[in-house]
Amino acid sequence: MTAGTLPAPGAALRYAPPIETELERLVTALGAIPALAERYPLRWLAIQLLEGDDDLLAEAEGLGGPTVTAALAACRERLAPHYGEDLDVALVDQRYRFVHALAGQALTRPATPPLTLSDRIDRVVTHRWLGIPIFLALMWVVFKLTTDVTAPFVDWIDATLSGPVSAWATTLLGVAGLGGAWFESLLVDGVIAGVGGVLVFVPVLLALYFALALLEDSGYMARAAFVMDRLMHALGLHGKSFLPMIVGFGCSVPAIYATRTLDSRRDRILTGLLVPFMSCSARLPVYVLIAAIFFPSHAGLVIFGLYLTGIVVAIVIGMLLRRTLFRNQPPAPFVLELPPYRLPTLRGVWRQMWERTAAFLRKATTIILATSVVVWLLLALPVRGEGRFADTPVDQSAFAAVSGATAPVFAPLGFGGWETSGALLTGFVAKEVVVSTLGQTYAVADLEEEVATAPATFSEDLLGIAGGLVSATGDALRALPGVIGITLETPEAETAPEGLAAAVRAGFEASSGGHGSLAALAFLVFVLLYTPCMTTVAAARHEFGSRWMWVSIVGQFAVAWLAALLVFQGGRLLGG
Amino acid sequence: MREVTIALAGNPNVGKSTVFNALTGLHQHVGNWPGKTVERKEGRLILGEHQITVVDLPGTYSLAARSLEEQIARDFIVRERPDAVINVLDAANLERNLYLTAQLLEAEARLVLALNMADVAAARGLRLNPEALAAALGAPVVVMSASKGQGLAELKATLRDLVTASGRAARSALKEVAR
Repeated sequence: MTAGTLPAPGAALRYAPPIETELERLVTALGAIPALAERYPLRWLAIQLLEGDDDLLAEAEGLGGPTVTAALAACRERLAPHYGEDLDVALVDQRYRFVHALAGQALTRPATPPLTLSDRIDRVVTHRWLGIPIFLALMWVVFKLTTDVTAPFVDWIDATLSGPVSAWATTLLGVAGLGGAWFESLLVDGVIAGVGGVLVFVPVLLALYFALALLEDSGYMARAAFVMDRLMHALGLHGKSFLPMIVGFGCSVPAIYATRTLDSRRDRILTGLLVPFMSCSARLPVYVLIAAIFFPSHAGLVIFGLYLTGIVVAIVIGMLLRRTLFRNQPPAPFVLELPPYRLPTLRGVWRQMWERTAAFLRKATTIILATSVVVWLLLALPVRGEGRFADTPVDQSAFAAVSGATAPVFAPLGFGGWETSGALLTGFVAKEVVVSTLGQTYAVADLEEEVATAPATFSEDLLGIAGGLVSATGDALRALPGVIGITLETPEAETAPEGLAAAVRAGFEASSGGHGSLAALAFLVFVLLYTPCMTTVAAARHEFGSRWMWVSIVGQFAVAWLAALLVFQGGRLLGG
Repeated sequence: MREVTIALAGNPNVGKSTVFNALTGLHQHVGNWPGKTVERKEGRLILGEHQITVVDLPGTYSLAARSLEEQIARDFIVRERPDAVINVLDAANLERNLYLTAQLLEAEARLVLALNMADVAAARGLRLNPEALAAALGAPVVVMSASKGQGLAELKATLRDLVTASGRAARSALKEVAR
């Protein structure tokens, strides 16, 4: 239905007579300055100036000189007897009166407003005591969805890329007469492995964005921000900052982009600096591996403790930053609207999932691809011994030399071996790469059980991939009840390959002077806290600028180093 | 064909994005506002002989330039002077939404009011009187429920009338000058 297709000219909003008189005078004065008359609607400009818009005043004075200042001062003086210091309040007030009258004409309200379903849900969800437990329970569901349910798909993509796809690439190169050369290694170990490292995150991100889209489109996310507001004030932030923090448990990259929902630049940057302390999912494989080797009976506890440590450190750093770098910047006033609950539409949810995942893929693929090639080059270049290019033992490669040069930095923390420092270096590419580098540097052939490369035909490969997808879907469906705490089957305990476990244990014992477990704990704390991966760094630079990117890189490294030092040296003092 | 720019303005959470998507479909470009970290969405809409660029302004409660979003929305409306501004309003919270409308009027924007979420308003027992609103503001008012696809055809028809009328006005002005 459409009403009134013929627009009538003229502003409908009139202020009180004294103000209108002054507006007219001001418009006349401003109209004498062509540069202003060209750029702005004059009545609008006059209203903004009377309301006290300093930026516009500066601009108008720049274009019009002292005439503007004088005219405005004269207007204000004549209005002072009517409104005193509160001219701006009077303007806003009269605008609201206009709006109120307008709404009265356009709308008839029922005598007793019905209590909507939305109101009734809010009575429970934003309840003083129930609010936070309900929120935490929902976050738990999201967390399980993004980890347990997507895990089979992650494994499937991983197996497909490292198995058939790599084999196909090798075969194709062989057909082209390029097989067996360094080029094959670059393509399989560098490009496919590197890009694969990004692709395996797609199911995780799709699940995360699916959950977030549901929470946002239904209107719950605004309630969550409301519920968490008081807690976040301890950090000098407000409830809206909680969303990026939560997203940070999945991946820091979308979390950094999620800071866009915040109103002030100060809040965006402060939140962006704290987000990487939330332990992202890429760090989990490192915890699992190291904890399984050193703390087999308490692995779960150690991992949970690490997540908690990240949160505590974020709180401490947040309070520190608020009192130092952000001392003179009060938090923006928190205005939050609780929109009515709505049923999310499939299209809307899918659109968000796809847009965000695609954006991540575009950004991540290029940078990870480039770095993978660099790491591959370093690993391929022999600097000592008899090795040839692309055929050199790891400990004689340029990579070992670079790692060895950085190793002394980590010596006070108990893990000064070149193997671990090399793993931390590549961890800058992506945190989960720490695991695969540890496998390479401790010279264990391969972490993944070598896929028996019986020459499968192309169609057998395709069947295998399809079968893998079907069984992954089955596994994911079986994992679904686990989301709400029902476990259908006991998951097999993750066990590290025997050879690697022994090598890692020996390495840590050697570098720490016999305090292997303590050094391992310090290593885990370091992995939790140190400089985020380069994709996160790139996101931070994109959103906050180079300066804040460096604050993040250097600051987090320092925090991690100090924390790991505290764990290792403190533990030794306590006789650990 | 004449280049026409239409901006979408409104409070946050009023279904502005839904209206934007419905108008522009897949012809969208997402970028940033120059030098800002706020997302800028732009899309294309073909209405008869007119190719229209639709710019989705950040959702704001006012045009007072206190936040980055408000500043972007205000600068675009005042400086770029789009040919028309579709002001999307939440009909169920009309009074609060109309404050922005009042400021848009003051900024001399050529307004089309889209009273969105009419279904929600009806469920709350609110009765809308679009004719009265249109008469008071001197701007066309379209009642819609964008999430259900209701009112979109009317909105497009209104836009087409507006664009055609302004094209005619521009042509007659040119003739005026030629004479």
